[in-house]
Amino acid sequence: MNYFFLASVEIALLGLLSGIAGTLIVLRRRSFFAVALSHATFPGGVVFAVLGYNLLLGQALFAVLLVLVMTALSRVPGQGRQVASGVVLALGFALGTLLTSINPGLGVPVEALLVGSPLSVRTSDIVVTAAVLTASLLLALGFGRRMLFHTFDPVGFAAAGFSAWPVELAATGVIAAAVVVAMPAVGAILGVAILIAPAAAARLLAPRIEWIPPLAAVLGVASGLAGLWASRQFDLAAGGAIGLATTLVFMAALLWRRVARIPAKEVLAHGRTQTKHLAARGGSRETG
Amino acid sequence: MDLGLLEALQLPFMARALATLAVLSVAAGIVGLGISFREMEFVSDGMVHAVFPGLVVGAALGGTAGLLPGAVVAALAAAVLFTLLDRRGGAGSDAAIAVGLTGLFSLGVVLVSKQRGYVAQLQDLLFGHLLTVTEAQLWQIIVVAILAVIVMLLTGRAQLFRAFDPEGFRAAGFSVLRTDLALSAATAMLVVAGVQALGVLMVVAMLTVPMAVARLLTRRLAWLVPVAIAVPLLCGVLGLWWSFVWSVEHDLAVSPGALVVLLLVAAYLLAVVLRVVLRRRGSAVPA
Repeated sequence: MNYFFLASVEIALLGLLSGIAGTLIVLRRRSFFAVALSHATFPGGVVFAVLGYNLLLGQALFAVLLVLVMTALSRVPGQGRQVASGVVLALGFALGTLLTSINPGLGVPVEALLVGSPLSVRTSDIVVTAAVLTASLLLALGFGRRMLFHTFDPVGFAAAGFSAWPVELAATGVIAAAVVVAMPAVGAILGVAILIAPAAAARLLAPRIEWIPPLAAVLGVASGLAGLWASRQFDLAAGGAIGLATTLVFMAALLWRRVARIPAKEVLAHGRTQTKHLAARGGSRETG
Repeated sequence: MDLGLLEALQLPFMARALATLAVLSVAAGIVGLGISFREMEFVSDGMVHAVFPGLVVGAALGGTAGLLPGAVVAALAAAVLFTLLDRRGGAGSDAAIAVGLTGLFSLGVVLVSKQRGYVAQLQDLLFGHLLTVTEAQLWQIIVVAILAVIVMLLTGRAQLFRAFDPEGFRAAGFSVLRTDLALSAATAMLVVAGVQALGVLMVVAMLTVPMAVARLLTRRLAWLVPVAIAVPLLCGVLGLWWSFVWSVEHDLAVSPGALVVLLLVAAYLLAVVLRVVLRRRGSAVPA
C-alpha cells in the first residue's frame, strides 16, 4: 500500500478520535493532563526502541504507569492541582533525554518520537488506532449521557446514586489511549494538537452540546488531512504542519464566533457555570 | 583522572554550568512562588513551548547571537497571549492554552524543518547544552534572570494580595491584568534564561518542581523561597558532579541537564513521602 495513503488513513482516524477523546479533554478540562502524558511517554518509546521492540507498546505501558503515578500524586494534600502533571512531565522528559544521551549510537529516532512521522506509519499502527476509536465509540454510545452528567454536575451525579470512579476511569482511559495512538504519527509533543484543537474549535461553534463530538470529528479529519497535504506540497515536517493546521482551524472558529456573535446557548452556559462552581469549590477531581 | 568535587567544579566549563544552575535556582525560587500560588504550571509549560519558534527564527536570522533576542521576543509575546487566554476562565481557557502551546510549537517545527540538517539543531534546542554554555551566554542568562527577579520584587506584595484575595485586590482598586502580566513577563524571562542551558522542555521542571518541593516541606511563607532555592542548587551540584564522574570513569555521556531534573523529581518524591509519613504520625498522636 502507498505510504501516503496509510498516513492519510491514520490521520483521518485520529481526527475522528478527536470527536470523543478531544471532547472529553476539553469539557473535563484535562488538557494539561493530556499534554503532560504525551510528553512524558517519550522515555517509554526510547526504552523499547533501544531494546528493539514496538514503540507503541512501550509508550502504552509507560502511559499506564504515568497515569497511576499522577493519580497517586494528585491525592497528596497541600499542593496545586497542576503539580502532579508538571512533575510527571519533567520526569518523563528528563528520563527520555538521559536515555538518549546514554545511547547515542543506537539509532533511536528522537525527532520522530518528538514531532512524529506520519509517513512511517505502519498497518499495525492503523489497526491499533481503529481499535481505540471503536472502543471509545462504543463507550460513548453506551455511557455518553452518564459521562456528560458527571462532567457538568458531579455533585448531582453522586446525589443521583451513581458512583464516580467508573466514569473517571473510562474518561482517563479514553484520553490516555488516544494520546498514545496519536504519537507514532504526530509525535510526543504535537500528538495532543490533533485531539484538542478540533474539539476546542467545535466547542466554540456548536449550537448544542450534542453537536460537539460530530463537529470535532469533521474538523479533526479536515484539518489533519489539510496539514498532511501541506506537508507534502511544501516539504514541511508533517507533525508540525498538522499541528499548525489544527491551530488555524481553532483560530478560524474563534474569529467566526467573534464575527457571528453566536450566543452561548443554555446547555453550554449551564455547563460553564457548573464548572466555575466546581472551580470555586476547589475542583478536587481535577488532576491536570 | 581522579578529581574531587571541588577540583571538578573548578574546571572552566563545569564552573560555568554550575553558575548557570545557581542563577536559575535563585530566579526560579523567587518567580516560582508566583507560579505556584497562581497555579500557572500549565501556562508556564505553554510559554516554554512558545519560546521554541522564537529560538528557531533567532538562530536563522542571527546564528547563536540571535537565539536570545528571538527567545525574548517570543516569550514576551507568549506571556501576553497566555495571560489573556487564562483570564477567560472556564472550560475554554484550558483548551485554548493547549491549542496555543501546540500551535506555536508546530510553527517552530515547521520553520526548523525548512532548514538544512534540522535534526541536529532541533535536538540542541530541545535538550539544551549545559556544559557548553559560553561566557557571553552566561552573562546573558544572568541579566535576563535579574530582570525576572526585579519584576517579581517590584510587584511581590501585589502578587501575594492578588493570589490570596482576588476580590479584595480588585476592590482595593488594583489592576488584575497588570499584575498578571507582570508575573507572566517574569516567568517568560526565566524561561528565556533557562532555555539555552536546559533545553526547551526541561526548563519547565525548574519553574514548577522546586516550589512544589518547598510547599510540601514547609507551611511557613518565609521559608518557601529559601527552600525552593536550596533544593535545585543541591540537585544542580549533585547532578553536575555525577554526570562528570560517570563520563570520566564509565565513559557514559550522561546529559547533565536531564540528571539535574531527575534529581529534582527525586527530591519531590522524597518530599511527598516525608509529608505523608509526618502527617500519619501527626494525626496519630492526638488519637
